Amino acid sequence: MANELSTNINEITQYIVIRIGEEQYGIDIKYIDNIVRMQQITRVPQVPAHFKGVINLRGEVIPVMSIRVKMGLAPDVASKDTRIIIIKIDQHEPIGMMVDMVKEVVNLSSAEIERVGFDRGDDKNAYAMGIGKHETGLITLLDIDAVLQGL
Amino acid sequence: MDVSQYLDIFLDESKEHLQNLNTSVLDLEQDPENPDTISEIFRAAHTLKGMAGTMGFKRMQTLTHDMENVFSEVRDGKLKVNAGMIDVLFRCLDAIEEYVSVISETSDEGDNDNEPIIKELNDILAGKSSEAAAAPAAEPESAPEAAAAPAAEAAAPASWNIGDLTEEEQKALEDAMMANKKLYSVTVTVQESCLLKAARAFLVFKAIEEHGEIIAANPSTQDIEDEKFDLEFSLIIASEGELDPILKDIKAVSEIADAKGGVFECEAAASEEPAPAAEEKKAEEAPAKDPGTSVAKVKNEVVKKPEQSSSGSSAKTEKKGAGKPAVNRTVRVDIEKLDSLMNLVSELIIAKNSLVSSATSNTSDSSSNMHEQIEYLESVTTNLHESVMKVRMVPIESVVSKFPRMIRDISKQLNKPMELYMSGEETELDRTVVDEIGDPLMHMLRNSADHGLEMPQERIAKGKPETGSIFLDAYQDGNNVVIEVRDDGNGIDVERVRQKAIERGIMTEEQAYAAEDSDIINLLFMPSFSTAKQVSDLSGRGVGLDVVKSKIEALSGEVDVKTKLGEGTTFTIRLPLTLAIIQALMVVVGGEKYAIALSGIQTIENINPKDVKTVESKEVINLRGTVIPLLRLDEILGCESRREPDSDMIVVIAKKGEKLAGLVVDQLIGQQEIVIKSMGKYINKCKFISGATILGDGEVALIIDSNALI
Repeated sequence: MANELSTNINEITQYIVIRIGEEQYGIDIKYIDNIVRMQQITRVPQVPAHFKGVINLRGEVIPVMSIRVKMGLAPDVASKDTRIIIIKIDQHEPIGMMVDMVKEVVNLSSAEIERVGFDRGDDKNAYAMGIGKHETGLITLLDIDAVLQGL
Repeated sequence: MDVSQYLDIFLDESKEHLQNLNTSVLDLEQDPENPDTISEIFRAAHTLKGMAGTMGFKRMQTLTHDMENVFSEVRDGKLKVNAGMIDVLFRCLDAIEEYVSVISETSDEGDNDNEPIIKELNDILAGKSSEAAAAPAAEPESAPEAAAAPAAEAAAPASWNIGDLTEEEQKALEDAMMANKKLYSVTVTVQESCLLKAARAFLVFKAIEEHGEIIAANPSTQDIEDEKFDLEFSLIIASEGELDPILKDIKAVSEIADAKGGVFECEAAASEEPAPAAEEKKAEEAPAKDPGTSVAKVKNEVVKKPEQSSSGSSAKTEKKGAGKPAVNRTVRVDIEKLDSLMNLVSELIIAKNSLVSSATSNTSDSSSNMHEQIEYLESVTTNLHESVMKVRMVPIESVVSKFPRMIRDISKQLNKPMELYMSGEETELDRTVVDEIGDPLMHMLRNSADHGLEMPQERIAKGKPETGSIFLDAYQDGNNVVIEVRDDGNGIDVERVRQKAIERGIMTEEQAYAAEDSDIINLLFMPSFSTAKQVSDLSGRGVGLDVVKSKIEALSGEVDVKTKLGEGTTFTIRLPLTLAIIQALMVVVGGEKYAIALSGIQTIENINPKDVKTVESKEVINLRGTVIPLLRLDEILGCESRREPDSDMIVVIAKKGEKLAGLVVDQLIGQQEIVIKSMGKYINKCKFISGATILGDGEVALIIDSNALI
């Protein structure tokens, strides 16, 4: 019993740390299907601005969204560091998310995560579900469900 | 014997035979004397019975067996076909169909005995002239038993020897008395013709359980389960209610001849001290169990019965999740088609080998050789695609052949004489499309039969033939298959639809009167319009048409209505032959590549910008006498055209039915076979993009749905 409890407290979750603008964000690794390099994105007409278009991922056509536009930041500028993270959640079709850079994978125990109340009205904070404290600095943990909601 | 591996074949063939039977019985109704039809029916019924027996589906076997008996008599001329018999036969076929569908879902035939139908079949047999020598074999078990039914028991109903009760039963009896429940003893008599007595008994138990508890049974519940009783069994029931409703419910169970009962003699129970020997004996037979569990066991037993005979498949059934069809969808393939596929695959391997060898050889002509090989490869893959498509193609017959029967039923039900004429049943469509097209077609036929056709009096008054006609015509038109549903009924009253549209605020009065009739009729396909109750009196046309439309559109098809008040209505469904791979014209607009389905393209024209006229602030061109509206794809797609403004425009003339439109593009790339890929639900909001495809270089190109643009 005691053992069970302690593992609960120190539950380790792996996060992929990405950079969007000047900030670091973390995405729970269980949502991530794949990370691919920037490639040609085919624009789709008459869709919301946060949709960049579609890409060919090994024969499948996958839509790509811009988290920057969704957060109300300046549009993406593709660089050699730009990556597309393919996110796959049960019952959802896979979707690509453009990020400025993928930095590393970190292990965060639940003790290192602070669930702070965010002002959900703010575009930038609407998708945050906690702050992870790591030696490389603070990581805003993304609430993927919230990001995909209302797409 | 493990027969589960034959389940697929069994289902396939059963469906085929059923369809066959349906058609034949319909024929029989028209021509009751035709010996060919009768033997055809007999054969099909016989085969069905045999197959059901082999597979261990006892209930289905019983039903088909009785049906076969009827036909056997008909064939021998001992019975005459009449309308009542046809009705029973159709109900019988429906019941068999139900068995088959239950089997395909659960690998088990379920526990519906369809007693009423079996009884009717037997009544038909029994009702025939008595001089028919051969006794109907319909009652194989019960007939001899009935003769031997002991009269002794019947003479003294509800006679209970308390010594027959086990200790548990006596205990339950005492408990019930303590709880101030009334005790009744009931004797139930089963009809002589009853085939599945245990099942009947189970239903009786079930009926009693609603009122109270079964304390004891004679013979024991175990014996009743095993059908070890003649025509009677006696029960002791503890209930808080009156006896009469219980008896009434028991009698309501079909094939129960009678149920008698009275108050159970409590004194006898109270006296106790049963003969120990008798008690032990009984206890041995029916191992300790209280009445509650014994009934539960009956239930299990009854359900399990058919499975015992097909142990192989039954074991699997229980593991499988409910509701999920147990059988994969299959296509029957002509061996010739398979042979041609095999040949093509061999050619493909040869083409690959030559490509490999020309790529490795360094001779100067290797490049031209390579081109040759690629061309060869191209022709092989095209042929391969065609062959695979052919394999997937099935005639729509499998769907439409059930309609004559449906129309017949509707005709009887509504008392409205009508006839269905079908043509082009051999038209082939992709299997997936054929599977989906059934419901919409059925809907439209129902619509025509129910609302389109007038009642006979009305028709006579209008000078039309009394019998209404519905036509179902299918034919291939280029890369499309067209299915028309036509009736000679009253047609759609466009003015009333118009009024309704105004009433419901869908259009302003001004809009409604300015709109073309065809646009008004299209309103019927709107969900809000058709589901509204108020519209149902509006010559009825609206019920579920939106469902039809969405279903057809999901198959990349379209529906069109033409109607003439007083003369009838025609629904036209247009479906693409195939769904996955299409021939497309690749074009460039504003530097982006797009594909347009070739089936929707009529011609490609070079148009001088000076020839573009403006009518009602819309751009049009006059092409050989036809005025065609011009659509600038760059504006629609939201990109910038890179064409020189003064140079000739390339205009792709797209057609949708009879409507034309000119799509202005920057550049043509050429014709190409493309594989349609879905873009997923996130991004499919754009109406005129029907999907995406992946080009040879890995780039994604969007497919423009020219039909949505027009």
